[in-house]
Parts: sequence; structure tokens; C-alpha cells
Amino acid sequence: MQADPTQRDQIRVLRPATPREAVALAKTTGAPYIAGGSGLQPVWERNGSWPRQIVALNPGWPGFRGIEETGQGLRVGALTTLGELAQHPLIHRYLPCLPEFMDQVAGPGVRHLGTVGGNLCAGGDLSALFLALDAQVHRLSDDDPQEQCQPLEDYSAGDGTLMTALSIPDSRQWRIGLEKLGYRERFSPPRATVACVHDGQTMRRAVCGEGGPARLRSSETDQDTELTAGGWQDPALRLAIQRMLAFLQEDIARDH
Amino acid sequence: MTTDRPASISTLAVDWGPEGQPGDTLYQRIDGQLDYPTDLLNLPGLLHGAILRSDQAHARLLAVDTRVARTMPGVHSVVTAEDVPGLNRFGIVVRDQPVFCEDRVRYEGDAIAAVAADTPAQARAAIAAIRVEYQPLPVVEDAASAENQPALHEGSNLLAQESLTRGDVDQALAACAVVVEHEYRTPRQMHGFMETEGGVALPDGNGGVLFRVGCQSGHRDVEQLADILALPRAQVSVEAMTTGGAFGGKDELTIQPAAGILALRTGRPVMIHLDRFESCRSGMKRHPVAVRMTTGCDARGHLLAHRVDAVLDTGAYASLGPAVLENFMDHATAPLYRIDSYAVTGRLVYTNNGLCGAFRGFGGNQATFAVESQLDALACKLGMDPGELRRKNLRSRQEPGSRGQPVRWTAAPATVLDAALASPLWQPGNPAGARWLTGTGLAFGAQGNGLGDGLPDSGGGRLSLTPEGRIRVEFGFADYGQDIAGAITRSVCDALGCGSADVEVVLGQSRGPDSGPTSASRSSVMVHGLLSRMLPEWTQTLKRLAAELTGQPAEDLAPGTGGLFLQGRRLIDYRELAGKAPPDALVAEAGQDFPVAPGQETPVGRYLQLQIATIARVMVDRLTGRVRVTDLHHITAAGRVIYPPGYLGQIEGAAVMGLGMTLTEDMPTRKGRMQRDNLDQYLMPTIGDAPAQRVDVVDDTPENDPYPIRGIGELGIEAVTPAIVSAIEAATGVRVRTLPVSPSALLEAIQAREAQS
Ligand SMILES: Cc1cc2nc3c(=O)[nH]c(=O)nc-3n(C[C@H](O)[C@H](O)[C@H](O)COP(=O)(O)OP(=O)(O)OC[C@H]3O[C@@H](n4cnc5c(N)ncnc54)[C@H](O)[C@@H]3O)c2cc1C
Repeated sequence: MQADPTQRDQIRVLRPATPREAVALAKTTGAPYIAGGSGLQPVWERNGSWPRQIVALNPGWPGFRGIEETGQGLRVGALTTLGELAQHPLIHRYLPCLPEFMDQVAGPGVRHLGTVGGNLCAGGDLSALFLALDAQVHRLSDDDPQEQCQPLEDYSAGDGTLMTALSIPDSRQWRIGLEKLGYRERFSPPRATVACVHDGQTMRRAVCGEGGPARLRSSETDQDTELTAGGWQDPALRLAIQRMLAFLQEDIARDH
Repeated sequence: MTTDRPASISTLAVDWGPEGQPGDTLYQRIDGQLDYPTDLLNLPGLLHGAILRSDQAHARLLAVDTRVARTMPGVHSVVTAEDVPGLNRFGIVVRDQPVFCEDRVRYEGDAIAAVAADTPAQARAAIAAIRVEYQPLPVVEDAASAENQPALHEGSNLLAQESLTRGDVDQALAACAVVVEHEYRTPRQMHGFMETEGGVALPDGNGGVLFRVGCQSGHRDVEQLADILALPRAQVSVEAMTTGGAFGGKDELTIQPAAGILALRTGRPVMIHLDRFESCRSGMKRHPVAVRMTTGCDARGHLLAHRVDAVLDTGAYASLGPAVLENFMDHATAPLYRIDSYAVTGRLVYTNNGLCGAFRGFGGNQATFAVESQLDALACKLGMDPGELRRKNLRSRQEPGSRGQPVRWTAAPATVLDAALASPLWQPGNPAGARWLTGTGLAFGAQGNGLGDGLPDSGGGRLSLTPEGRIRVEFGFADYGQDIAGAITRSVCDALGCGSADVEVVLGQSRGPDSGPTSASRSSVMVHGLLSRMLPEWTQTLKRLAAELTGQPAEDLAPGTGGLFLQGRRLIDYRELAGKAPPDALVAEAGQDFPVAPGQETPVGRYLQLQIATIARVMVDRLTGRVRVTDLHHITAAGRVIYPPGYLGQIEGAAVMGLGMTLTEDMPTRKGRMQRDNLDQYLMPTIGDAPAQRVDVVDDTPENDPYPIRGIGELGIEAVTPAIVSAIEAATGVRVRTLPVSPSALLEAIQAREAQS
């Protein structure tokens, strides 16, 4: 990212007409995409350095905002705001645990601005759940004329690809557990958020926060090693993650 | 003195009766509509100032080159130490802080230069263009060893050392059956007001300056600013405007010196408003305290000995550090309890860790955290109920204070304790193995009003009738959100029988009466005292004038809403009276000293004492160690309640502030650098973190008590911290002695305990 100690009011906001043009602009200028700006803006302000230009994403582009049923589950537009996600009737039906959890994600003002795509690209609170759900990312990239689909786990934000939407499998019969640990209950990014998803056959676990988003695949006895290798340096935080996971797994098993 | 009699206990609730409607400003405040000094952006010719601050915690200043900055667009003036017209120093107790550093910077945030420009952006750009050459010096960061490190000021880094002793503590400790010794640490808390430091300096056209700023003592600021600006005091005035919070953090001068110098230089009004980053870095904080306490008792739980060794880190400059040390020491003697022998020593040291000064609680709450924790530790070791241990040692209402001084309570401490032990929050905890571990804890605290210890403490007020027929009440106090205007209005209405619309409160004018600083929970006491002096005679004059004008007998007239009444009928309204009365006939002025104990040559500690027992209920997450405070119940004994919403607001607000200091708030430093720069990293409690609260009042103030009204601005923070850590122990078995509570450390301790059992 090109950054200059310029003023914030000198930033040039590039407003591409189409998603394709956005990808091309990002490629030629090296400017970052901006969705709600609630993740990026505080970072720039803190560093006192603002980018020369930014590529504004437009929620009016078809499919970028809103939630719909696909037959296999849900499709969530990347520019759907966190507030819309929390209140959407389809989410209440497909992911009933999410609305209450969203109360712990930032605050109403930030949820009004922040988007699902921005949250996932920044490794925010939603990452653990969407990873454990095996969500698929729809993306556009400069070198590919087609929109592609790939598992969220393999998606790497920041390489110029544009996230257009997410596909979530039909999870209505599944058991899902979610826990967040922050320095404060609300209005603060996750230290560690964990998700456990049981689809009737297998249990999938994921974590996000200080150590970054990741699916967890090891057995319980090797979990500490897996977390350490994954970048979770703080032993007390690893302990908390493991206790949250154990609790959720037990909870899900009991429900079953 | 009074005798103990059954106290009346009531629970406060917000009940906006017909006369209790909150003033308009309350809604404006909530809506963000109320203008603060930093909203004065439409002044004609306004320039914007910015301050260049050191990015080194400790360094020699080799060069400050402002040449480029002076030529930048929109820049009107650039000033440095050389441009300070008068004394380049300020400080309430010790004038040791430079307006602009001369040859040395002592903290990251020390002021070096300032710029006035047409726009804030131009001012910031010019600041960025000033070249500073530093030669780094070793950073003094460890308070405990600061006095053995190179001195930041003349002499050593030991700014003050005090001791309070009674009896022979070594001998007493040797005689104890049970002794506990622990070390406690408290954080560097930030005030976190919603309006950061700021305001505007306006040249008056005659060589003088008027300041419209957020501050806490306009009259005292005038003295300091006149010396800095080399102006006679008559040419400096301060309007302490309604400001968005202060809590002690605006007691010291903030932006005024730089704004004043720039205003004089440019002949234009200059606004300086720190942004949150600058406020976090350069603003005042609460003194971090490291204290070791050794406390002992006999086998039946009678306290015999108490030793205290404390270090308070005041940062680069003294500010109110010496007074904070004094209040800390006073509270560290465990004023509520009878202890035959104690030795309390405290050291106040300079370091390069920012600035520390006044903050609600003022050292007292840090001490009470440790004292009450010691009592819990003793009770635990004795196998005795903590309430029982406290009851055994509580002073009675007739006894002197811990320093032998006369004290004046409004209820017997035992009554307050009994009420606390009867709180409905005493419930059994969740069963072992539950996810959320629950527990209840109690702590007790005492707090005095006034500057204390014989410091000069006095103030005045003024009463008049305006031509519009409003009763104008003037005090020098600042309104920083505590709604003292509401309390004053209520007092006047209660005394006169008039309506709140008849009263006009004017605050914070340095040209008006000097009421002394808005600090030390002293304003309500002064207001009550001064109104009691002024109102009776003023009312007599009012009646006499009305009698003369109407021909009715004065003794039959009574002031009421809108005017004077005869047998329930309004005879003459205030406006008419104001128009017809001779000028100045209805002006009353009074002054008084803050109440101290009678017959004491040099007053010790504080005479007017308040109490609070706080009961906390917490939930601790067994999975993560995080703590939620679900309920706080406060039993207060602080005199008569004159303004219930104000009382409630102060107790609850202060308690949440204490909750923040206990659970999340800290501004750690590393090599003198602040490690948090904004409110997304420095975590203050939000409404989501605020517990359910209940405030009870034990009012056993004698009918004829000359001081029935006490100041309660700081009381709510006194006991909340030890109550929470006690509740955490009840829930988990783990006692926390380093604040803020670290969920990680708590989790590890919980796990270690689980592994044991
Ligand atoms: C006070 C505060 C509290 C917060 N609390 C939380 C919290 O509790 N939990 C939490 O998870 N987060 C929190 N955040 C962080 C942030 O608000 C959220 O993560 C939010 O969802 C980010 O979305 P956004 O649209 O604002 O992202 P932006 O800031 O616009 O972008 C974030 C990143 O994603 C990239 N990006 C955005 N959209 C796309 C896209 N469609 N394709 C490719 N790249 C894209 C951007 O280039 C950027 O790198 C908080 C932020 C603040 C200011």
C-alpha cells in the first residue's frame, strides 16, 4: 500500500463504475479497497499516514449487498453491513446464534458502517464462524475473466482480488457454538473468537483474533501445539481458547 | 456531640417530581447540543493553535528550528520558550512545569513550541515542519528506584516523603497472633473526559486576555496565567465554561498558557483543542501506586498493628502530587478502624512516565483498595467473617479520627456496615463447575471533604436580583457535568420557596466571586454554607422592600414562585420588585472558610467525613477469566440529600469509573512511552459494562448540624475496587492485588486451583 503522511481530506476516492473496473483500478494504482472503512480508518489515523487514493466499493453493484437463499444455503453480499446481517430474517432462520453474538461485535455505529466482507478480510469476529461453516468466497481477480469461488480458508485478502459475496451452506439442522473473548465485552476487537460447528457428522472448529483466523484440525491433546504453531504466542490466551472450545463442544454434544 | 440513634435508611430513585424536572441543559448535554469551550468555532478572526510535543521521554533539547514553520501558509505565529513573556513555569503546588521546554524534555508530550494558523490543518502542518534536535537521556521509568537515578529536577527524584506514625509498630507487630503482608499495585488511569482539553484565549483589545476554557479553578488559573503572560492579574480573566468532563484532569493548566501567548502575539482569538491522541499522550493521569502493607491483629481479630510503605509515581512534574500523597497517607491509616500502632510512609517520585495529578478519589481510593484487601486477608487467615472483623474494629461516632483529629460523621459506621451486611446481593454462588462463577464482596471506605490538612481553603458567593426579576446566584465553581447548577437551584428553591425558573445560576467567572477550586468534593459544602449566610438577610430585605412598595406588613409576605405572596396570593412579582428597588439593595455577598474541626491550631486531615460501603456482585468466566460486575449496592452516609438525581449520578458515575480502574483501564508506559493512544486501546467501561446499581442513604445527620450537606463527587469511587476484588475472590478463591485485574492471570490462577482440587 502506498501511504503518505498526507491529510485525510487529500485522499483521492476512486469510484469505479463496475466491480471489474474496481479490480483493474486496484491493480494499476495499488490503492486499497474500502468498504465501510471502519477497519482501515482507525489504522490510518493512528499511524498518522493516509493513502494517496482508495478504491471505493459500491454496495449498489448487483449481488454485493443483501442476503438471499440459494437452495444450498445463503448467499451474503460482501458489502452487507454487520447491522443488516444481525437483523436479517434469513440469518435468524439459518444461523440463529448469530444475531445475539453480533451484539458483541463492535457497537451499533460501527456495525452500521462495517461490512461482512471487510470483517472477513480483516480477520474480524465473523472469521471463526464462517471458517467453521466452510463458507465459500466469490471473488473477482484481475487475471481471470470469471468470478471464482473458493473456500474462505484458502482466500487471501490483500492480493488485489475483490470479494463479491459469500456462500454459506444450509446449516439449519446443524449445531453451532460461538464464543468471543475481548479485552472488553463489547466494542473491542476479538482477542480470540472461537466457533464450533457440528453438521450431524463432523465437528469443525475455527478461531480468529490475535493469532489470526484459522481452522483447527488437531485432536484435543495437540491443540496447544497447533495454536502455538499458528501464531498464538500468549499461553493464557491459548488456555482460554482451549477452554472455550471444550465448553462449546461439550455443549453441542449435550444438545445432540 | 451527637449520640448514636437509629438511622433512617432510604433507597434513592430518580423521581422527577413537578419541581424536580431536570434543567434544559441536561437534555442538551445528552443530545450533544450544549456548547463547550471547544465549540466556540464561530468567533470572528479565530485562529487555531497546535502544540509541538516532545517525542522523547527524556532528552536534552539541542535545537528547535522554527524557520520553515514560520513561512508556511496560513501561519501567524510560532512561539517557543524564548517567547514566554513572563514566568516559563506553572504548577498548582510546585511551579516546576515549563510552558515550553528550554533545554530539556522530561516526558513524551512535553510542550516545546506552539503555532497559530488560519486552520487546524495548517497549524498541524507547521508543527510537523519544526525541526527538533534531541540528545536522548536515560529514561527514569521505575518509580521504586527513581530516587537513585539521575535527577529530573534540582535535587533528587524524591519529590516528597511523608510519614504518619502512632505507637510502636514493630513492637505491636511482634505481639500479633496473625499478620498478613502483601503488595498492591494500581494503574495509571486516564480521566477520559468526553471533551478533551481545550478552549480559546481572546485578546481583550487592551493588552489583556480572556480565557474561555474547560478548567476547574478560574481564579487560581488567573494568578498563574498572569505570571506567565507578565500581565497584572486585572488584565487576565477566565470563564470556566461548562465543559465536557474534568474529574481532576483539568485542575492544572492545560492549553491556556500556549493559547494565551499566541493570542497576545497575534492579537486574535486562538483556539487550542487537543485531539484524543494528544490528550492520551500528554494529559494528566491518576498516580500509579505500589504499596506494601503489613497488618496484624490478636487471635480474636482486634487490629493491633499496620505498616504501610508506598511509592507514588507523579511523572515528570509535581502537579498536585504532594496533595495526592497526603490524601493517600490519610486513607492508608485505615481511618474507619481502631489501630493502636501504625507506621505509614509514602514517597512521591519524579519519573519520565507522563504526568500524574488530580483525579477523583485523589489517592484515597488507591489506599482503600489496599487497606480493605488487608482486612479480608486477615479475616481469611483468622477464619472469621470479614464483616465481623470489620465490626470488631470500627470506630464509633464519638471517637476521633485515625490521626487523633476530631471528625464529624453523619451516621455511625456500625449502622452503615449493618446495612451493607443486610444487602440482598449476599446470595450463594453458582455451584462448582458452572461456567460462570459468581460471588459477592464488600468493602468499606471513608472520605473527607475539603482540601484538608490546614491548607488555605475558603470561598465566596454572591446573590442578587436581576432586572428581569430572576434570583441570580453566583459562584466561582466550574460546571463539568456534575450539575452543580441543579443542586444550587434546588437549594435556593428549598430555602426560599421559589420556583426553579426564578433562579439563575452563574458559575466560573473569575471576575465574579472566588469560591475556591472545584475539587476535593468541596463545592456543595461551600454552596450550602454560603447560601445559609446570604439567604436569610437577603430574604428579609426582599420582604422589607416588597412591604414598602405594597404597604403590606413584611412579616406576612413570603417569597414563592414568580414573586412574593400574601396569604397564598401573589402580591408583587420579582420583576416589578427589581424595577422599583434601589440599585444594589438586593445584592448580598458572603465568604467563608471551609469547615475545619473547632479548636485545632493546625487542622489535621479532614473534619467533615463521609462513608460508603459498597457491595459488589460479580460473574467470572471459568473459561476465560473475564470478569463482569453485575450489581453494585452502595450504602452511603453523606449528610442530607438535596438533589437526588445529582446524588445518584455522582455515586453511580464514580463507581463505574472505579470499576474501569479495577477491570480494564490502564495507561502502561514502556521506556516512558504511553502504550495506549486512543479509546479503542485504552478501554473505559461502556454502558454495556455498567452494572445494575442501587444507592442507599443512611441519613442520621442531627437536626442542628451546621454542616448537613456534604460533597459526594468522589465518594462513589472510594470502596468499589476492593469490593469487586473481594467478590472475585468469593467467586474463584483467587485474590487479585495488581490492577487492573488481568483475565489471563486470573484464568491461570483458576486453572491452578482446579488442578489442585
Ligand atoms: C470502535 C471499533 C470497534 C470494533 N470492534 C470490532 C469487533 O468487536 N469485532 C470485529 O471483528 N471488528 C471490530 N472492528 C473492526 C471493523 O469495524 C470490522 O472488522 C468491520 O467489519 C470491517 O468492515 P469494513 O467494511 O469497515 O472494512 P474496511 O475498513 O473498509 O476494510 C477492511 C479491510 O478489508 C478490505 N476489504 C473490504 N471489503 C473488501 C472486499 N469486498 N474485497 C476485498 N477486500 C475488502 C479492505 O481493503 C481492508 O483491508 C471495530 C472497529 C472499530 C472502529
